[in-house]
Amino acid sequence: MAEDSKRSGRRGFLRDGLWGAVVAGIGGLGGFLLRKNSKDDTVWQIDPYTCIACGNCATHCVLEDSAVKCVHAYAVCGYCRICFGFFGPEPANIDTGAENQLCPTGAISRTFIEDPYYEYSIDEELCNGCGKCVKGCNAFGNGSLFLQVRHDRCVNCNECSIAVACPTGAFRRVSAKEPYIVKSVRHA
Amino acid sequence: MVGSVDNNSVEGNAGDVFYRTAVRTAVLSGLFCLIVGGFLIYNYVMRTGADERRVNELDELKVEVQNKPDDEQLIARFRKLDLQVRKTRVRRLDFSRRGGYLLFGGAIVFFAGLLWVVSFRRKVAYPKGGIDYDEIQIRESALSRRSVGVGAIGLAVAGLLLAITIGPEFPTGASDGLTLSGGLVETWSSFRGLGGSGVYEWKDEVSSSWNGKSGEGIIWKSEVSLSGYGSPIVWKDRVFVSGADANSREVYCFDAVSGERLWASVLPKIAEANAVELEVMEDTGYAASTMVSDGRRVCAIFANGNVGCFNFEGKRLWSVGLGVPDSTYGYASSLAIYRNILLIQYDQSYADAGKSVIKGLNVLTGDILWQTPRPVSSSWCSPIVIKAAGREQVITCSDPLMIAYDPNNGAELWRADCLGGEIASSPIYTGEVVIGLEPYTKLVGVRPDGHGDVTKTHVAWSVDAGAPDICSPVSNGELVFLLTTDGTLSCFKVSDGSAVWEHQLKGDFKASPSLVNGRLYILSEQGVMIIADISAGFSELAQCALGERCYASPAFADGRIYIRGVKNLYCIGSDSKR
Amino acid sequence: MRRFLIFMYFSTFLSVGAGAVLGAERFPPPEFVETHHQIPSPTLPGPRVDVYEYLDVVVLAAALCLSSYLVLKRRSRKWILGLMLFSLGYFGFWRQGCVCPIGAIQNVTLSLFDSDYAIPLTALLFFLLPLLFTLFFGRTFCAAVCPLGAMQDLVALKPMKVARWLESGLRLLAWVYLGSAVLFAATGSAFVICRYDPFVAFFRFSGSVNMIVVGLCLLGVGVFIGRPYCRFLCPYGLILRQISRISKWRVTITPDECIKCRLCEDSCPYGAIREPSGQWDREYYVKSKKRLGILICLVPVLVFLGGLGGWLLRGVTSEVNSRVRLADRIYMEETGQVEDTIDASDAFRSTGVKAEVLYEESAGIVDSFGRGGWFVGGFLGLVVGLKLIGLSVKRGRSDYEAERASCVACGRCFEYCPREQVRLKNLREAVGKA
Repeated sequence: MAEDSKRSGRRGFLRDGLWGAVVAGIGGLGGFLLRKNSKDDTVWQIDPYTCIACGNCATHCVLEDSAVKCVHAYAVCGYCRICFGFFGPEPANIDTGAENQLCPTGAISRTFIEDPYYEYSIDEELCNGCGKCVKGCNAFGNGSLFLQVRHDRCVNCNECSIAVACPTGAFRRVSAKEPYIVKSVRHA
Repeated sequence: MVGSVDNNSVEGNAGDVFYRTAVRTAVLSGLFCLIVGGFLIYNYVMRTGADERRVNELDELKVEVQNKPDDEQLIARFRKLDLQVRKTRVRRLDFSRRGGYLLFGGAIVFFAGLLWVVSFRRKVAYPKGGIDYDEIQIRESALSRRSVGVGAIGLAVAGLLLAITIGPEFPTGASDGLTLSGGLVETWSSFRGLGGSGVYEWKDEVSSSWNGKSGEGIIWKSEVSLSGYGSPIVWKDRVFVSGADANSREVYCFDAVSGERLWASVLPKIAEANAVELEVMEDTGYAASTMVSDGRRVCAIFANGNVGCFNFEGKRLWSVGLGVPDSTYGYASSLAIYRNILLIQYDQSYADAGKSVIKGLNVLTGDILWQTPRPVSSSWCSPIVIKAAGREQVITCSDPLMIAYDPNNGAELWRADCLGGEIASSPIYTGEVVIGLEPYTKLVGVRPDGHGDVTKTHVAWSVDAGAPDICSPVSNGELVFLLTTDGTLSCFKVSDGSAVWEHQLKGDFKASPSLVNGRLYILSEQGVMIIADISAGFSELAQCALGERCYASPAFADGRIYIRGVKNLYCIGSDSKR
Repeated sequence: MRRFLIFMYFSTFLSVGAGAVLGAERFPPPEFVETHHQIPSPTLPGPRVDVYEYLDVVVLAAALCLSSYLVLKRRSRKWILGLMLFSLGYFGFWRQGCVCPIGAIQNVTLSLFDSDYAIPLTALLFFLLPLLFTLFFGRTFCAAVCPLGAMQDLVALKPMKVARWLESGLRLLAWVYLGSAVLFAATGSAFVICRYDPFVAFFRFSGSVNMIVVGLCLLGVGVFIGRPYCRFLCPYGLILRQISRISKWRVTITPDECIKCRLCEDSCPYGAIREPSGQWDREYYVKSKKRLGILICLVPVLVFLGGLGGWLLRGVTSEVNSRVRLADRIYMEETGQVEDTIDASDAFRSTGVKAEVLYEESAGIVDSFGRGGWFVGGFLGLVVGLKLIGLSVKRGRSDYEAERASCVACGRCFEYCPREQVRLKNLREAVGKA
């Protein structure tokens, strides 16, 4: 028995020492990381200038109805009669017929303002984030349509699945206080 | 298993009803979960199967509608299908969401039922006797040690297998130089070498004496099947030339060391592109454009607008037809390359016909990445790619503009209205100015750091000169040398365009002069290379006769000279180099 | 009409030549002279107000306190089960299992190695709180607070005994998982714990088909082998195991003294109960001392070999990094090994960066994986060495104990103990005395 207690005494000492070391370690780690701590939490967002509208946003989100939707920066829009984000490459007629539109879900609406200007708006409920309109607008228009992560839908995964699949690395962590990167008018 | 005695007495009669209820709940909710799960799986399969097919059908219908935009019935059919597709999408999303909740609810009931069932079937502990724990513990420790050891070894083996099969493809060591930016001294991979300058520097002496008839100084000579006036290009141990006649367009590859012809590949006919009859001037021929290489592939363009790309083994990677160019003397502009973009200066007809264009093709696939229309007339000179004023620029000359473009996207950087006539001399960049020529008329120097129309601001000087109509100029940074077809060699200062001296050479000249280790190498049509020192005026050092007519400018690589005669390709140098 | 449109389309396309990919407009801003229409601003939902994240920390702390109390003081399986269900509901289905302490390992690692990333306070607390509680009370987090553990615990209906040697061997997988998760997080390449979380798809009600199948399989396995993820895969569990070994208080099967009645032997679905250790005879004692000596000397060798292996595997591990994969793709396209280009390579070429720069950058990343490989591999070698040593040392157990490292504090064993029944006043004291 004496041998046992001696052993347990040694073991117990070792254990206590290790315990103290681990407490100190955790405290140290916590303190170190706290000093580095940012005031803001981060959320995911798409850099619209890097995005090429490849279509992965619609298919790779963990949510079935993707959290990425198209946004319209009206200030950049040219209000064109023939909008390259609204109309497909060879529209049969210039009207809002489904056969003339790019959008597969009919989420863009076209309103006449005055000659020759039309306003185009996006219904988020219908938009699926496929980016076809973004591609058309970037290629031939002003690039006023762009994709953004909507934070009323996004679950803010620790590692965004779309970010992993993005071919251009357009996904970044941004501060949760200013979570949107909106395209603005650039003066050459 | 817990205990070894099946103790049924735990479930008394009073508990029977509850037990049966528990079992029933579990079974029913389990079935419910299975059914809902089955529907969800069906939903998913439909989403990725039948729905996709309907979308494809819709795309096809769209094309039909575009072909017949006035067909009301077709449009109505399209709209009906489109509405169906959209409704289905929303329906599927709703179904998955609701199904998910139902499944969740069912699963809760199921697991609650299961736990309830299990709580009835708990067995009482009944430890077995006669177990020698000491022995078991010792054996278990031994087995565990072994299993950890085996596990560790197994992981190591698996890791090694992975390490052998998977790994980075790209070169992790020092670059082997074979990249899309080229520019090695061991290559002369475009018309007149790097930046189209015609300047060659080699650490040793470059041969300055040879004789075609006796064979002295000539390492090898190989016959080229079809003739062409394009220069040879060299990449390390391979030399490429292109040749063509009215029926066939071919690319040849020779071994730079032995001169053995490694392969000859044919460019196929491209039907629509060749629909128009092609007429070329005899002096231009069908393969006047020099090829270009990026170290992995070679590209060639021919007089009928066909462009072909081959890998170093001769396999044709792609070919496109740009359409027969409307060019009086036959298309002669050589190719240029910038990274993975093949640059083609496609000038035609007159400026107001609007046919001239510069194209950037993806050298990997042949797709047109960009094309920019040029408000210029036909030209027979070649574009050069330079880095100046902190930007990569491709400089082109034609009547009436010298235009610089961004090779990445074809955006115009600057233009200068300073040229005219039928220009076949390519521009050069001296480090200070870009020098362009207007045949018989003038020599201009333009600073390449401008934006937009720089006619009034960046034309450093413009001097009257009897400028050549075919040969391109060459410069050592301080002096620029011009050579006319009848042999008038003139020297001007780069700083202000002032004339320095003039010298008359004997012979006719189509090939452009080159500067090799600071000396002028000028090749005449008669096949004579005139080598001269220009440190203080013109001082002829040697004349080397090849014994064959030559029209193409020579190429220099590895300390050797590659000359293409009308029939043969020559490699000139001293054998001791290899 | 159509021809006109095609012409418009193509001429617009051609006149695009003046670049302006980045924002210089092709079409000038509109001027509304008649209607004076106001240009609206884009609709943006407000920033994400996640007050829940701070509530989570509070709930986590409360749940940990409650769990520790229930396991150590109250000793009631029913209550533990109840807390488990609450945690599954709150941390699992309500908060959808993200951010969890297991994934927080990666956030901590990334913030240590990447100066641009600062770990959010909530993630840091999620990482540290369970560690602190385990330091005092043992693995009370695993039983009643972790939603993944709760899921597995609920399906453990017919748990079989897993041979101890099999457990030891399979746990190496968890160490490899931890090592690679740390390596990938440290190089900023991937969060593999999040990517391969088997149960998060259930919490979110959506996810990739592969992970749902894996999750179902794991649950299926979990019916017969209790808590397979916890025992053989969970990287956080490994940390908790080590900390639990030195915790101030521990989970005990008996409330006071063990009478060695053996009734608890088969009560643990996770094989955590150890019987009292027997005597070793002299011969075996000498042999085991020799073996221990050899193993201790073997440790530095194993560390070196492990580190070497980690370095050798840098070509494999670096493929997780997207930059390295891009460099691979670009090189294969340039050398003609693949015919086409993909979105990523097109996008790279349009940035104007030279391929050699990419190769250099990627070679640097491979090197950093090599350096990291030395550490992670060496660490794994150390783990193997220490495991072997641990399996050669004699444990001085006099009672039936829940092994500190393995016990997840589920509380199932409590009611099997007669001393516990005495405490609950279901048995009279006389039964307890010899």
